[in-house]
Amino acid sequence: MDLASNYDIAHTADFIRSRNFTRVALQFPDELLKDSTKVVSALRDELRRESDVEGKGDFRDIGFFVMADTMYGSCCVDEVGASHVDAECVVHYGHTCLSPTSTLPALFVFGKASICVEDCVTSLSGCLLNSEKPILVLFGLEYAHAMQSTKEAMVVESSSLCGSIYKNAIRYADVLCSVMDPKEYRGTSDTQLQSSHCLNANRDCAHCDQMNSGVVGTSYTIGGLMWNLPEGHKMEDYMLFWIGSDNAAFANVVLTYNRCDTVRYDPMENRLVKDVSHIKKIIMRRYYLVEKAKDANIVGILVGTLGVAGYLHMIHQMKELIMGAGKKVYTLVMGRPNPAKLANFPECGVFIYVSCAQTALLDSKEFLAPVITPFEAFLAFSRGRQWTGEYVMEFRDLIAYPSLQVSDKLEEARFSFLQGGYIEDLEPQESGKDVDENERSLNLVEATEKSVQLREKYTHSLVKGEARTGAEFFAARSYRGLDIQSEDSGPRSFVLGRSGKASGYKDEKSSQENM
Amino acid sequence: MVKFTAEELRRIMDLKHNIRNMSVIAHVDHGKSTLTDSLVAAAGIIAQEVAGDVRMTDTRADEAERGITIKSTGISLYYEMTDESLKRYKGERHGNEYLINLIDSPGHVDFSSEVTAALRITDGALVVVDCVEGVCVQTETVLRQALGERIRPVLTVNKMDRCFLELQVDGEEAYQTFQRVIENANVIMATYEDPLLGDVQVYPEKGTVAFSAGLHGWAFTLTNFAKMYASKFGVDESKMMERLWGENFFDPATKKWTTKGTGSASCKRGFVQFCYEPIKQIINTCMNDQKDKLWPMLQKLGVTMKSDEKDLNGKALMKRVMQTWLPASSALLEMMIFHLPSPSTAQRYRVENLYEGPMDDIYANAIRNCDPEGPLMLYVSKMIPASDKGRFFAFGRVFAGKVSTGMKVRIMGPNFVPGQKKDLYVKSVQRTVIWMGKKQESVEDVPCGNTVALVGLDQFITKNATLTNEKETDAHPIRAMKFSVSPVVRVAVQCKVASDLPKLVEGLKRLAKSDPMVVCTIEESGEHIIAGAGELHLEICLKDLQDDFMGGAEIIQSDPVVSFRETVLEKSCRTVMSKSPNKHNRLYMEARPLEEGLAEAIDDGRIGPRDDPKVRSKILSEEFGWDKDLAKKIWCFGPETTGPNMVVDMCKGVQYLNEIKDSVVAGFQWASKEGALAEENMRGICFEVCDVVLHADAIHRGGGQVIPTARRVIYASQITAKPRLLEPVYLVEIQAPEQALGGIYGVLNQKRGHVFEEIQRPGTPLYNIKAYLPVIESFGFSGTLRAATSGQAFPQCVFDHWDMMSSDPMEPGSQAAQLVADIRKRKGLKEQMTPLSDFEDKI
Repeated sequence: MDLASNYDIAHTADFIRSRNFTRVALQFPDELLKDSTKVVSALRDELRRESDVEGKGDFRDIGFFVMADTMYGSCCVDEVGASHVDAECVVHYGHTCLSPTSTLPALFVFGKASICVEDCVTSLSGCLLNSEKPILVLFGLEYAHAMQSTKEAMVVESSSLCGSIYKNAIRYADVLCSVMDPKEYRGTSDTQLQSSHCLNANRDCAHCDQMNSGVVGTSYTIGGLMWNLPEGHKMEDYMLFWIGSDNAAFANVVLTYNRCDTVRYDPMENRLVKDVSHIKKIIMRRYYLVEKAKDANIVGILVGTLGVAGYLHMIHQMKELIMGAGKKVYTLVMGRPNPAKLANFPECGVFIYVSCAQTALLDSKEFLAPVITPFEAFLAFSRGRQWTGEYVMEFRDLIAYPSLQVSDKLEEARFSFLQGGYIEDLEPQESGKDVDENERSLNLVEATEKSVQLREKYTHSLVKGEARTGAEFFAARSYRGLDIQSEDSGPRSFVLGRSGKASGYKDEKSSQENM
Repeated sequence: MVKFTAEELRRIMDLKHNIRNMSVIAHVDHGKSTLTDSLVAAAGIIAQEVAGDVRMTDTRADEAERGITIKSTGISLYYEMTDESLKRYKGERHGNEYLINLIDSPGHVDFSSEVTAALRITDGALVVVDCVEGVCVQTETVLRQALGERIRPVLTVNKMDRCFLELQVDGEEAYQTFQRVIENANVIMATYEDPLLGDVQVYPEKGTVAFSAGLHGWAFTLTNFAKMYASKFGVDESKMMERLWGENFFDPATKKWTTKGTGSASCKRGFVQFCYEPIKQIINTCMNDQKDKLWPMLQKLGVTMKSDEKDLNGKALMKRVMQTWLPASSALLEMMIFHLPSPSTAQRYRVENLYEGPMDDIYANAIRNCDPEGPLMLYVSKMIPASDKGRFFAFGRVFAGKVSTGMKVRIMGPNFVPGQKKDLYVKSVQRTVIWMGKKQESVEDVPCGNTVALVGLDQFITKNATLTNEKETDAHPIRAMKFSVSPVVRVAVQCKVASDLPKLVEGLKRLAKSDPMVVCTIEESGEHIIAGAGELHLEICLKDLQDDFMGGAEIIQSDPVVSFRETVLEKSCRTVMSKSPNKHNRLYMEARPLEEGLAEAIDDGRIGPRDDPKVRSKILSEEFGWDKDLAKKIWCFGPETTGPNMVVDMCKGVQYLNEIKDSVVAGFQWASKEGALAEENMRGICFEVCDVVLHADAIHRGGGQVIPTARRVIYASQITAKPRLLEPVYLVEIQAPEQALGGIYGVLNQKRGHVFEEIQRPGTPLYNIKAYLPVIESFGFSGTLRAATSGQAFPQCVFDHWDMMSSDPMEPGSQAAQLVADIRKRKGLKEQMTPLSDFEDKI
């Protein structure tokens, strides 16, 4: 496929020109970075050509900036990066989660992955014949370009196969939108953001969905896709047919609709994958992490996005939630988390990663402490809430999530499944008044003092009590500063240090050679 | 029907000298529950006629169905003794009324945690031994536990009726059997003797051994017969008692006592002559319906029968006659009242075992003196499901003070540490309840020395706890119970319908509470795990979970899973090194196996992180040959800071070493919990930190750099030290007749078991076989065994030790490698082990 069509050069140029942007940031994921220069020159050419046609010749004013190596997941728009160059808009290439931006308008270019439409349709109709449930077709955004042809081919196929019996039994999701402009949805409150945003997109899509035109029902959106189900239909009633690779977007879909049967058509290998149990296993694993999180005393909130709308709101909400549960919370901004970074905060029992839905699931055995999503934090830290199988990935949906009031305070103690017994929880801190107190600097000193005294009582012991705050944790460490050796305070003789690189100092190299 | 009221009971509760808290303990099927029935019958809770059939204390349907006791059940009984019978009692007493708090416990080894819980709250134990089967493995286990808790035992040789009816042995032979049973029991008791408890061996001539037939509701001690004959011979009772046991022979022809058999036909042992023969005679007469001979005999013995009872025939007649002549309750009661300690006596020496705090504080004193006016000290030993769905009674013993309805109590859980707020609650008691037979009665308060059930605390106590008054903030808890079994068999459970998950969670919570041993946890993979002591235990737990605690919601259970341990065979073949992510820090380590016995010493708590380092280094250097200085350089134990692995610092003169200690420890805790082979716990590995190279800037040697590196280097050193798997092994005891032995050996061989002891029980055709059997092979073992021996062999399995599997898990195709692969698959890990090169770095 040629560059111009793959990168949607014409459409992009049109977008830039029609909105009169002069500084444009182009965001590339790592794997597409090699094409960035070609894309820029293609865009310049395109714009020049268009302006030549119109005869204005103002294309020189447009500055293009290529952004790479984004701080967080490459699926989100890096607004902070873009504002470093005072960009007025961002063009995002490649895989995206289509999370709404908070300040800058953005254009998404999904790219066009190759797909064999005929084979896909064969698989789809095969599924349709074997399935008792109606099918809902979802797809990776990089295959959005092929959807129209798939639909058409499917209509032909199904009518040739078995007439119109199955006409109603198949539904297609649509792409939400490819342009995002915060100005358009500014003014509506955050909670309504999602719905107003949908309306905007609906206009484009409604007419192209022939199957459910005119039927008003519940509308669903996930990872940039949206679809409507007629009144009375539940998601569980449908079988999901995913066209695309086994990536984060797919995991997102399977987790969110974990009660639906799901099959995946892999366009790269042209085959149907019916076994998605590895993703169902993820749910079990997440459940374990939630249980583990319940036992944590100190919680770290990892800021995993600075772009997705509503992230600040979410962080505040998390803080309140955690303090309400009587735990200590620290907010950490560290870019994309890795084991080494997180292990620098061994006092944290659990981390909450506030990020877009598709980067939210961080589960590596390498992490010392579990990293959970805000939804899981909701489950873990509001007492009396049980996991019933539903799963919310987008934290924006959580804002509206019914919050459970901790009304029954003399309820039973919390049962920890990790320890197989009741675990006392700390008295919930009264939020508000107490927050100020916690922030006082003296507090740190007091806590330190307390734990120091405590420690001295058990000075011979190798066991430390569990820390409630970071200060307590540090106070309980065995190392508390350099040892001052008072007996030989005289100056030491000069010693030659190591030289060479960290991967192998010079003295080590020689020892290796000796071996 | 119940002859006494709650008020009466409550009144005696204040008379601490007139209380006996006792448990009935024995091997499975030696007749505990049946014998208990006769005691309950005497207290008027069930009719005398059905005593022996009802099994009053088997309250659960499945207990009745299987004929085994599963849960220990407590009953408070009230007896009024006659002045006559108390004449010889020298101890303190107030009046003639006695309160017996009796706990019937299960005999099956899988439920021996119930026995532990029962022993903690009692002061005396009635040890029941089948006169034919003799002292079995579980008899020994429970006796050991009892003595460990400083519980004074008395013995009853049960199932006497078998001697008379089934085996029809003659007197001398029977005597020898009884003598052997008593001797065997005494050998065990002598082994676990405790100076404070004094001589705990039992002697028939002292009245601490009874002979009983629980099924028929009769029993006697030598006291009964001594009383009878004392006047006849004109000697005092105690003299007579001595003559009724041991090497004392009587010849009615010469009317002379000798200490040796004279050889004449009429010369018989005192016991045979005066106890065994008369009983045999009566029984035979009854069984043959020779009523004309019977009535005069009974008259001579002073036994009067009711007129309607005279119409009975055969076995029923025999039962009735024996019950009237030698009622089990009076013989056993007398033995208990005379020879088992009252709470006030027992707590004097038990306090050291019970209380964790200093022996001279007010709490220790209150326990020692059993002071009802002192501060409350109450130990909750188990939780009992209440009829109210989902709620539990907290069942325990008041050791000091009083607990009353509405009282605010401080609940100190098992993880409570004095001075901290961990595992501590203050809640009020809604109701105090005592058990009277099958029903509960509320009482205003319960003073020390008694057992009690509390309502309203179940939401804060998982299994056990120490309760004290709200204000007693400096009280230490009562020592946690030590169980003789451990939960080595696990199943994963899932609900069939995903939306039942909350039900499952709630059910597991309740299950964990209802059983002292079962552990409900969650695996890394998110599966809920139930761990129990054995197959039967798990079966009962799963049934309870589904039927009682989840309201019948369906669950799916996995096959039983056994947890393994990872260890090493040798010292690492070389010092391994790992670099931190930034390459600026290096850790050099070696792994080596811990000395033999050291891992067990850590398990037992003889060596642990809380010890005084001096004491620890003394034990290590004297018993395990450690260097004294090295013993002081132990950084930590793990996993969970107390496990049987450790990190030792062997470095010399390394700068900043202290700074990374915490990070290395954190990495070690993590790694020792999930070993490199299959992410099972490590066991018995000592990691030696040989050298460390650190970056000069603190920022580059922080936790983030060192913790993951420590984990990697630990894995690398494990892999280079010939890693091996340890599998749990049961000690199996099987009792079977000779003809079944072939079948037993066959099954054991097929299941990788090996027999290490085979003894014929003297005087019986039974053989006693002891064998080791891998736990993983034990599923379905009892079924297979029963099939192979046509139901003649019944095994008892108890976890004994961890056994190293000889095959190399690193060698593809070996048995251990296959096991590792299976475990990894189950846990959802990559089937291939992470290679050494991922953990070890080269320079």
